[in-house]
Amino acid sequence: MQESGTAKRIPQDLGAGLFLVAVSLIALWQGADLDAGTLREMGPGMLPRGLAGLTGLCGLFVATRPLWSSETQESLAGWSLRGPVLIFGAALFFAYAIRPLGFTVAGPVAIVLAALAGRETRWVEIIVFAIVMTAFCTLLFRVALGLPIPVAPWLLDY
Amino acid sequence: MRSLFVVAALLGVGTATAQTYPTRPITMIVPFTAGGPTDVIARIVGEHMSKTLGQQIIIENVIGAGGTVGSTRGAQAAPDGYVLTMGQMGTHGAAPAMYPKLKYDPTTDFAPVGMAAGTPILIVARKQFPPATLKDFIAFVKANTAKVNEAHAGAGSVSFTSCTLLNSQLGLKFTQVAYRGTGPALNDLVAGHVDFMCDQIVNLVEQVKSGNIKAYAIATPERSPALPNVPTTKEAGLPEYQVTAWNALFAPKGTPPAIVGKVNAALDKALDDANVRKRLLDLGAVIPAKNERTPAWLGTFVKAEVARWTPILKAAGAKGE
Amino acid sequence: MDTLLANLTLGFSTALSFQNLGLCFVGCLVGTLVGVLPGVGPIATIAMLLPLTFNIDPTGALIMLAGIYYGAQYGGSTTAILLNVPGEATSVVSTIDGHQMARQGRAGIALGLAAIGSFIAGSIATLLIAALASPLTKLALLFGPAEYFSLMVLGLTFAMVLARGSVLKAASMIIVGVLLSTIGTDLETGEDRLTFGISALSDGIDFTVLAMGLFGFAEILRNLENPEARAILTTAIGRLLPSSEDMRKALPSILRGTGLGALLGILPGNGAVLGPFASYSLEKKIAKDPSRFGKGAPEGLAGPESANNAGAQTAFIPLLTLGIPPNAVMALMVGAMTIHGIIPGPQVMTRNPELFWGMIASMWIGNLMLLIINLPLVGMWVRLLQVPYRLMFPAILLFCCIGIYSVNNSPFDVVLTALFGLVGYALHKFGYEPAPLLLGFVLGRLLEEKMRQALVISRGSFATFVERPVSAGLLVVAAVVLVVAVLPAIRKGREKAFQE
Repeated sequence: MQESGTAKRIPQDLGAGLFLVAVSLIALWQGADLDAGTLREMGPGMLPRGLAGLTGLCGLFVATRPLWSSETQESLAGWSLRGPVLIFGAALFFAYAIRPLGFTVAGPVAIVLAALAGRETRWVEIIVFAIVMTAFCTLLFRVALGLPIPVAPWLLDY
Repeated sequence: MRSLFVVAALLGVGTATAQTYPTRPITMIVPFTAGGPTDVIARIVGEHMSKTLGQQIIIENVIGAGGTVGSTRGAQAAPDGYVLTMGQMGTHGAAPAMYPKLKYDPTTDFAPVGMAAGTPILIVARKQFPPATLKDFIAFVKANTAKVNEAHAGAGSVSFTSCTLLNSQLGLKFTQVAYRGTGPALNDLVAGHVDFMCDQIVNLVEQVKSGNIKAYAIATPERSPALPNVPTTKEAGLPEYQVTAWNALFAPKGTPPAIVGKVNAALDKALDDANVRKRLLDLGAVIPAKNERTPAWLGTFVKAEVARWTPILKAAGAKGE
Repeated sequence: MDTLLANLTLGFSTALSFQNLGLCFVGCLVGTLVGVLPGVGPIATIAMLLPLTFNIDPTGALIMLAGIYYGAQYGGSTTAILLNVPGEATSVVSTIDGHQMARQGRAGIALGLAAIGSFIAGSIATLLIAALASPLTKLALLFGPAEYFSLMVLGLTFAMVLARGSVLKAASMIIVGVLLSTIGTDLETGEDRLTFGISALSDGIDFTVLAMGLFGFAEILRNLENPEARAILTTAIGRLLPSSEDMRKALPSILRGTGLGALLGILPGNGAVLGPFASYSLEKKIAKDPSRFGKGAPEGLAGPESANNAGAQTAFIPLLTLGIPPNAVMALMVGAMTIHGIIPGPQVMTRNPELFWGMIASMWIGNLMLLIINLPLVGMWVRLLQVPYRLMFPAILLFCCIGIYSVNNSPFDVVLTALFGLVGYALHKFGYEPAPLLLGFVLGRLLEEKMRQALVISRGSFATFVERPVSAGLLVVAAVVLVVAVLPAIRKGREKAFQE
């Protein structure tokens, strides 16, 4: 687990508040050209803009909480990188491989990528497990439940 | 990754020649949710077609953006007859006006296969709404335009487009209440929270029969056997209001004519089958006449539909993206 | 009463035929299976199985499809309790105390409570449908856009009560949830909103995507950091089934949950979603020691689970009596009926009495079957927890990916889920709870829709919300709930620090 050393000293609420402010700004930017309309005829932009504003406001309150609240402040705990990157990578690979390469490729690779995120990686075990799970899922989802999941379009047209 | 997909698709084309087609299951894309009118028609027709073609037809519901997500997928599929699209009035008629950034052109990006079935549009109102006939209705809404609430099933829906056509023919602008789908809209119509709406007969037939709502007219040249007491718009005094939510089968552009012919023949045979006809008629659907079932007829029809809807919807200020 | 008895006799004689019993069993079994699998929900399954029902008679077909639906409700709770992954909006609440119970080695008791509570709720709801379906329909019609808006406001105030920590943070999450629900095509104009120009977002974010990301994926990321937390889960099993003492304590919660859930289930527009949240809020409020909630309080599981199942059953009322589907699964049932040439509406009851009453009778039989299927499985599920986590999390990830992909056949949904997984991880680090966000999201879309509909009908007058008695009443309840929920939290916050 990697931890960024500076993050440790930031109060949790400051980060939490700034996160909301960021969400608010993104929403305001995305919704900038939407027509807010009037109360009689509310436009598509009224609610998103109002909610984004509220989010920002909440963010400011949360961020400044150490100043007005007597609750004990936790500091922002360490963030790991390995887990998020590998888990995200596994899902991303699955998403982009499932149509062109089929489940027989997307499934086992996703499992192995995900398994690498763990503390210990036992290679033989995980490879056997990946193969077994792929076969099991093919039977379960494709054969038994009949979901239209491409299994191996490059081999079987299936 | 994209190129691998193309290679796989080309391999598919190579093995499937027109004589042997089909050698593997066919996917029929239905760009709407399972259980909706288009889906039901696709399933009834598709089931019989798979018997004729000797291969399973898998219905894949690819929903989104008024059916344009699924239709885009259908337009971009390999032109080998293994991916067909059940298009309808919205995706292949109204979409170019509703969605300026549409990724396909219904008139050029598809090889028309044939008309499947249509569901006529009804004009219905809440039970206690004062006017009794369509003529009264027109007079009433002209006199009380500001008070009347018109319900529809969301921008881009069949209900929305057919309402828009009615409004433009009457030259009136009502207060429109948008719902997400026919179900909630119908609920509020039955409860009397809104005044009137236009929608497909399938969704309304039981409510009309039980007297929960009243029907003013059906927008087809002939009365429907499912609701024989409801007059046509022609009889009731608004002859120019003619709308049927049609559903038709399309293949991607460039599909060999021989394959289109085979699918068309299977569709034609399905529409002649007594059991299929009964099921469709029970829904209140209209089955196309023999001369309306050819690919060429459908091609001309789609062009006419796009030409008819575009100006009306643009004038009504549709600004979907 | 006599007619009710005669009707139920007709119903049971239909439902107890060999074929229909078999179909009911298959439906319940498949439903349990897809419910347990994260991501794969009843909607996708019923859609897939529709064509299979072509060749059976409509009564049998509907009995099977209904079995899948409420079977999935049962199964969904299993995943929520064991893995903290809610498969459906209605099982979000079960993750709160149910999963805590599992972490404390009381997984078997939690699963047993959920199953028995669901059975009791299902039985009562079935009776309710049989006896009161027609009069209850009027309730659904009473709810216009204004009333519905106020109900959603009430629902959002429940979310405040759900919060385990700071009320301000919970409120922030609700607002963000509502904000997320506005993503996608505007209903009135068809304009794209907040979609970043991505066309896959124009239909908004799918609930499954958000729930799997914030709960399923984020949970994996959190557990990877804290192997100790998992260790407790995998070593301790504890009692397998709840004792009669447990049951006796949970029974009042089960009955209260059933009442709330049954009532909300009748409302159009998926009112059933509110049931579990309302029940949780109620249980927490009337509990002698509310601080146990969120830390494995059995009432916090039994009540909502019962509400969930009761609502799932009574949601059939508007479908069967009015022919108007209150939610997406019911819309599919309409499709199934339509395919069989039965167009749902008020006349089904008189024209196809064996279908109507057969289905109602089968619901009770189905609930019994689910109990019989699920109780022996509890042991198996609990043992499943002993699979080493290094193998479990890749498997969960894979199931989530397949499930999400199969909802819309969309690879983008999988990417989006993974992204929300990262967001969920960040939220955890910032001390935010994901449950209020999810509730805000579920209710947000209806909130906006109904608010705009109400204001269009009232021609822009906000007075409509207080002029209509039902709407005004709901708003008053919401205000009371808010005051009761927020005041002590603020006072406590001022006085001394929160004790976690």
